[in-house]
Amino acid sequence: MASSPQKLKSYSKEDRIRSLLGQYGIGLVLVIMMIVIAIMEPRFLTLGNIINVATQISINGLLCYGLCLCITTGGIDLTVGAQLALTSCIIGQTMTNMGWPAFMAILAGVGVATLFGFIDGVLIAKFNMFPFVVTLSMQLVIRGLSQVITGGRAVMLTNAWFTGIYSNKLFGIPMPIIIFIVVTIIMYLMLHWTKFGRYIFAVGGNVNAAIASGVSRFWVIVGVYTISGVLAGLASMIYTSKTGSAQSNIGVGYETDAIAAAVLGGTSFAGGIATIPGCVLGIFIIGLIYNGMNMIGVSSYYQSIVKGLIIIGAVMLDMVMNRNKH
Amino acid sequence: MKKSVIMSVLGTVMAMSLAFAGTALAEEVTYEADVNGDGKIVVGYISKNFTDPFHAPINARAEEYFDQAVADGIIDEWTGLLDGETDANKQIDRAADCISKQCDIVIFLPAEAEASDPALVQMADAGILVIEVNSKSASCDEKAIAYVGSDDVEAGNMLAQWVVDNCPDGGKYIHCNGILGNSAQIQRTEGMHAVMDEHPEFEMVGDFDTKWDGNLAADAASDSMSKYGDELVAIICDNDGMSSAAQKMCNDNGREDIICIGVDGVEVPLQMVQDGSLKATILQDGVGQINGAISIVESLVKGEAFDPAPVIPFVLVTADNVADYIG
Repeated sequence: MASSPQKLKSYSKEDRIRSLLGQYGIGLVLVIMMIVIAIMEPRFLTLGNIINVATQISINGLLCYGLCLCITTGGIDLTVGAQLALTSCIIGQTMTNMGWPAFMAILAGVGVATLFGFIDGVLIAKFNMFPFVVTLSMQLVIRGLSQVITGGRAVMLTNAWFTGIYSNKLFGIPMPIIIFIVVTIIMYLMLHWTKFGRYIFAVGGNVNAAIASGVSRFWVIVGVYTISGVLAGLASMIYTSKTGSAQSNIGVGYETDAIAAAVLGGTSFAGGIATIPGCVLGIFIIGLIYNGMNMIGVSSYYQSIVKGLIIIGAVMLDMVMNRNKH
Repeated sequence: MKKSVIMSVLGTVMAMSLAFAGTALAEEVTYEADVNGDGKIVVGYISKNFTDPFHAPINARAEEYFDQAVADGIIDEWTGLLDGETDANKQIDRAADCISKQCDIVIFLPAEAEASDPALVQMADAGILVIEVNSKSASCDEKAIAYVGSDDVEAGNMLAQWVVDNCPDGGKYIHCNGILGNSAQIQRTEGMHAVMDEHPEFEMVGDFDTKWDGNLAADAASDSMSKYGDELVAIICDNDGMSSAAQKMCNDNGREDIICIGVDGVEVPLQMVQDGSLKATILQDGVGQINGAISIVESLVKGEAFDPAPVIPFVLVTADNVADYIG
């Protein structure tokens, strides 16, 4: 009899550890990565480089949150790369060639991205079309539109206020980091603390049960794709400010890194499972892969292989640590 | 002895005559433009892509000219701009479309040296007169009737020479690649190494897979500044979309001293050179290249001889001459 409580106590401890690993396992992967890179390149852990990484991840970070919401409802948004290009072209065209004030140009660019997100959502929710097909087709429309707007030419952006969005600092913190933090807080509160967030999980987890419970599938789906459009527009604003150039060929393949970050962060393609803190960790892992390889000096011919293997390894490690959960 | 001297002089003169004759033959060629004898001249145009700012003015010039050429009756039809989507597979499909449309002449801008080559081969085998522009595919010298372009190795030399000339004390530099395996990336990199490797005072500390992408080049610049600080003196890029983004990143971080340079001479880098935020760029005269191809089409239609390999030189653009190329 005496052994039972001890055994129970032992199980409880193991469960607690497993629970901790389940919640923060991918964080452990991040820490391991940081240690390995820091050993290979001590300059990696300087404050300047950490700020550098945090600034760089802002673009992929915003795209990732949009993808996270769409994947959580059981969908996908493949338009985000093309949305980067379209918003960039609208900002460049309106600001440089039409003389609009920067704020109005940003509003126009992000507004159009939002509109396309809304259209994606309506097509998916109203007509029950597959998200993969809708967004795959829509990205062609969006990319084509950006080519029409600029005629394929690059447009330079010289407005100091606009180009300062990437390079300026507030209280010593680069603006892209501040934008990223603000969006992260909003996304966290929305997904984990609001009714709309619970509806997103409900639609992704069991859509029939959600509908039976009175959840409007239509508005949830339309809502997440619209938010994805807004975030892609904001990401494009940062991108365009960073390069000082608006052009229609940017953002090709950017959805890949955004999806990778979401999945690394525990977002399930089965729907209904996601956390914003997990996405933050995934976003940092993807950012560290790029920065780490650059810092260590991995040959460009091997960077793609290393990146793919690290993502597979990280997901596998996470699954091993969370085998009960999965 | 005297006889052998006379014989060798005669031999040299004959060899030189043959060489000159050979050169003359290589420089001037003629073809019958209506290759399928249907009484119509149909011209095809397979672009590299519609999205790259370097290719936009090339495509625009071709569209403007051939629309007018049809209106003026110089040619009977043209295919319009066919989008190669920077994809060899798509270019091969477009080549098949040109064959189906019974084109007599096709202007072709290959996306890849090896992978796009079947497009050239199938068109040439169908009897079409193919003019390659901007870059060569593998069997260009055997199958195309002309090549109008620039020497990307020379562009690589010029990139490196600018860095050598403007960083007399040497130092650390990084290289931002185009899409790995692309012929321009390979040849510009080769040209860059040919010069930089002769200068031991320079050390290449990063060779980044930046995929022609300004965002990735800017990240490579900030990573390298973070790692090497003042030791970093230059960033050599395979195109100037990347060099302008890298230079902006350097300038934003108070490192205007870092020399960034790339190839193409598209709008944004030229404007940066004009306003002084970028010191130089290497201009590839894309419109000059397509004008060269148009000139060959005109010669073909008129039955005149033409130079099958005109070289359009790269130009170093600095504050001194940017006004000649901007706008």
